Amino acid sequence: MESRITETHQKLSEDGHESECDKIVMLLDLMIDGEASSEQQAYFNTHIEECVPCFESHQKQKLLKGLVCGHLKRVIVPESLALSIKARIQETV
Amino acid sequence: MSEQTGKQLSKEEKDARFEAELLPVLDPLYNFAYRLTLDEDDANDLVQETYLKAYRFFDYFEQGTNAKAWLFRILKNSFINEFRKKSKQPAKVDYSEVEGYYNSDDVEGEGGVASTTDMRTESVQDLIGDEVASALNALPVDFRTVIILCDLEGFTYEEMAKILDIPIGTVRSRLHRARNSLKEKLEKYAKSMGYNS
Repeated sequence: MESRITETHQKLSEDGHESECDKIVMLLDLMIDGEASSEQQAYFNTHIEECVPCFESHQKQKLLKGLVCGHLKRVIVPESLALSIKARIQETV
Repeated sequence: MSEQTGKQLSKEEKDARFEAELLPVLDPLYNFAYRLTLDEDDANDLVQETYLKAYRFFDYFEQGTNAKAWLFRILKNSFINEFRKKSKQPAKVDYSEVEGYYNSDDVEGEGGVASTTDMRTESVQDLIGDEVASALNALPVDFRTVIILCDLEGFTYEEMAKILDIPIGTVRSRLHRARNSLKEKLEKYAKSMGYNS
């Protein structure tokens, strides 16, 4: 089960180039959330161009975020809720 | 000048401003409440309580600032207080732990993929959505919260730090752990959908 996402990171640490890839792992979330600085982005993009496991980790992280924001159904607000909030507020002095 | 300051608004003016600024957040707020409580009635109560609290403290709310983050913060705090009260009822609290246990067990096992999903004919979209929802619901509430705030509602790390009252570093590490956990739960399912590498 080499493709297990969680094991990919562990394997990296056992490999030789752990420090670079470990840094990339720490930047994954910043990258997909748009929170990375321009230096971090440059460092990240340069690295994943030549490192296949990190490139794949990035793809998976993006996919994961996409699953949550693209597929999680939104629940429909009951119509009565806004009305009862307004009513309760009007009662409040 | 002193007669016309913000605090001197009539009740009608205050209500109108309150509705205009805060009611547009109702939809995301209700969704957040639902994802936290996993129960429509509880979500309803929690949202109402949140708006009543917000109304009480509306004088402290600065017009034009981040109404959404402010309401989310109030709701999150109300939920924590409510949750602590309800934790005296073991069944309600243990549910997520039990579910989490079974789900993580399922990841290890060799059994059928998506065993929690029944075999009714649903569209693929629905199936994915259901799978994501059940994986998310099985996460501990702190993990679920950061994923909802970040991925569903698009809050920045800084806003999340304010909503949750934790440092940005904690937001980052919690999000990282939450996603690893969610990944584990979804992994088998993702493979079955052809997302394997």
